[in-house]
Amino acid sequence: MRTRWLWVALALLLSFWVLFPIYVIALSAFSNRAEISAWPKSFLPEHFSLETIAFFFGVEGVWKATLNSVIVAVMTMVFSIGLGAPAGYALARFGFSGKDAYRLLILLTRAFPIAILALPLTIRFIELGIYDTPLAVALVHTALALPFAILVSYSLFLGIPREFEEAAWTLGCTRIQAFRKVVLPLALPGMAATAIFAFVISWNEVFAAAVLTLQNRTLTAYLLTRLVEAPLYFQFAGGFFLIVPSLIFIFAVRKYLFSMWGIASR
Amino acid sequence: MAGIRCQSVRKLFGTFEALKSVSLEVRDQEFTVLLGPSGCGKTTLLRIIAGLETETAGDVYIGDRRVNDVPPRRREIAMVFQNYAVFPHMTVFENIAFGLRMKKMAEGEIRPRVERAAEMMHIEQLLQRYSGQLSGGQRQRVAVSRALAVEPQVLLMDEPLSNLDALLRLEMRAELKGLLQESRTTTIYVTHDQVEAMSLADRIAVMWNGEIVQYDVPIKVYQEPETTFVGGFIGSPPMNFLDLRIERQGGEAAGRLGDARISVPDTAAGHLRLGVRPEDLEVLPSGRGESGLAGEVVVVEPLGPHLQLTARVDGQTVRVTAPADLDVRPGSRVTLRPNPARLRWFDPDSGRALH
Amino acid sequence: MINERTLPYLLLAPSIAFLLVFFAWPLVEAFVVALTDASGAWSIDNFETMAADIYFQDALVNTLLLVIVVVPLQLALALAMAVLLRQLDAGRDLYLYVWTIPLGISDLAAGIVWLVLLSERGYINTVLAGLGLIEGPELWLSYESPWALFVAVVIAEIWRATAIVLVILVAGMQLIPKEYDEAAEVFGAGRWQRFIKITLPMMKPSIQTALILRTILAFEVFAVVVALGGRDLPVLVSEAYFWQFEYQDSGVASAYAVLILAISMLATFIYLRVLRVREEQLA
Repeated sequence: MRTRWLWVALALLLSFWVLFPIYVIALSAFSNRAEISAWPKSFLPEHFSLETIAFFFGVEGVWKATLNSVIVAVMTMVFSIGLGAPAGYALARFGFSGKDAYRLLILLTRAFPIAILALPLTIRFIELGIYDTPLAVALVHTALALPFAILVSYSLFLGIPREFEEAAWTLGCTRIQAFRKVVLPLALPGMAATAIFAFVISWNEVFAAAVLTLQNRTLTAYLLTRLVEAPLYFQFAGGFFLIVPSLIFIFAVRKYLFSMWGIASR
Repeated sequence: MAGIRCQSVRKLFGTFEALKSVSLEVRDQEFTVLLGPSGCGKTTLLRIIAGLETETAGDVYIGDRRVNDVPPRRREIAMVFQNYAVFPHMTVFENIAFGLRMKKMAEGEIRPRVERAAEMMHIEQLLQRYSGQLSGGQRQRVAVSRALAVEPQVLLMDEPLSNLDALLRLEMRAELKGLLQESRTTTIYVTHDQVEAMSLADRIAVMWNGEIVQYDVPIKVYQEPETTFVGGFIGSPPMNFLDLRIERQGGEAAGRLGDARISVPDTAAGHLRLGVRPEDLEVLPSGRGESGLAGEVVVVEPLGPHLQLTARVDGQTVRVTAPADLDVRPGSRVTLRPNPARLRWFDPDSGRALH
Repeated sequence: MINERTLPYLLLAPSIAFLLVFFAWPLVEAFVVALTDASGAWSIDNFETMAADIYFQDALVNTLLLVIVVVPLQLALALAMAVLLRQLDAGRDLYLYVWTIPLGISDLAAGIVWLVLLSERGYINTVLAGLGLIEGPELWLSYESPWALFVAVVIAEIWRATAIVLVILVAGMQLIPKEYDEAAEVFGAGRWQRFIKITLPMMKPSIQTALILRTILAFEVFAVVVALGGRDLPVLVSEAYFWQFEYQDSGVASAYAVLILAISMLATFIYLRVLRVREEQLA
């Protein structure tokens, strides 16, 4: 069919549109300084140079910021799963009064702008003495990621038939043993994907991180403030490093990514 | 080995009464089938015995032990689930060994037990496979092996054959019967298939609407149903029910169906319902002065081993099983002579059998 | 199962507690802070300060304009992509994966990426010069050309966030059995007609969800704008940021936050009304 080629061409065009900017920034990140200021730009890699990246990490505060981002993201991951998985399990396995109200609450949380969260908490965190710590940022990020973690683990546990646990009970398991031996192994891949997605949500977040930190900036907060005065190479390398972990992680969970976002939007 | 006793067990789901007040006594080593249509409460009762549901009222005894507050893992039961619940992330061997591992049995003892259980279900060659690599029938065998391996006091089975195709179901039924007769484990088996019930059970508990309607050996349930429901549920094609007027002539009561008169048991009622099975009606060509029910054949179904006739008698529909070589066609006038020893009388209002 | 009754509540308790502290409370507190003046009394001082600020009007207008321009464009693009996806067999999964890559990209990163592309001696200019459309390096992202800046933000946002809408639409489309489309074809409907009369109406719930989600997120546009133009293109969230962080005035910042919330709620309400899905019409 003639139209077949049209579809494929369009699809390729759209794919190119998505990939081209990423390619370009990777290209820039691995060029040397001369190439960065060059005009006109070349679209093919000429030299492979780690100069730009080295300069980037040499700037004071960059390593620290990266480390902070990692710490915050890991904490967010742990909190989200720790709070979200039990809730998801409860929703999936039990019928109880208040279930609908709880689900509505979770859905409502997605409707609120994050600015709302971070600003009042800033004051409170100052009072509590945890302002400008990774913990403070992680707590706000968890508030962002938690509804998502709950909904996805709800769906995950629903997909594991309750009969498996019941069979384990009749074969000698306590509730906890049955969960550990039968449910957990089956839920692990989905859980891991959720954890990674929580990590990425935290890693990418800008506003709360920028508002809640001063000296201990995360990478996003750091880049936000430095961006305006920064030289080109700094911008290029910074952008590249923001993207890289996300790309890797998203690739790792690509099987689940689509179903997770689809689920969480129900 | 132990018997099971349920005393006045009641179960409410919200306001829905799934079990009304059920009492059941299964003898040690007996194979009892809970039979009934969907929604009758049979699975609920099974799950209460298993400990997977909690009764709203009443008591459950396994052996001499009252198990109301005992969790499933300590009731010494094993269960085969309708969808098998074979753990997908473990091999067949691991699945069958699961219950034994929970009992902390020594590895050296587990292996022979697992192999024996697998042999009983003819799946020894599948021990290293995973559930995803097995067919439905094979998975079912794994589920049964897993239950047999723990050598339980009581074996509970929730419609284990209903997800198999017809031929497989037939084979498995025979296999299960042979197997369980040998091992003589007290078994409670839930099904909606009355053929399975008739084939496998020592006694059948027919359930309807949250109650046990009749609990007896298969042949009694078949020949002497307690209610019209039981008569109509068991047997394929089902029992015929004919409504008769009762006439009294000089102190003697007789049932009238068209021109026919049938002697009825002693009753003061004006109407009775007669239950008679298709195979208990003899087909005679009419017009030979035979006594019986006059009717006209409407449909003839040659099923192979016999003919299935649908006839109209006094405006009511009757199904009859007739010899394959009988010369009848739609429109033939016939006389149906019921076997007097196989008649069952019911009260038309309550549906209960008269004794 | 002894505590079958209490177990679910026990499992939910931590998440409920957390959400109450870190969500419900800040929500209330934001209103309180916004409606309190320096002395602690109830007043609308903060809102007055906010409204009188030189950047306020621009911020409000820019934000609204961005939403009005970006969201419909993204909806159309995502719809087209979702429909296109349905026509493809080979490589469908690969295309979907590539098109959803932007989901993992921070809005700051997206801003930086397009900053790089659109910089004076950047790649876009290289292409344009090569095509003869411009003569030499051109400065797009300056306060002198606010419209160029605006367009740059629109492009960056479309690049980054269409995937969000796409995923929701594709999920919704998958729920529509192919039979409906096939039946329509048998009864004579052409491709465009089938799309308008069958596919689109059946996707109403997904479209509604996607629009609500995307619009709420669009009102929060921040990092992309700051990356591309600093304060040259004020928007509501960037103003909230500056008031909180630079001027250290939580009151006005909270006023902005409340304003954003109000607009988001209004938009949601409008969507729910206009795109109301009748129960009987669902599959």
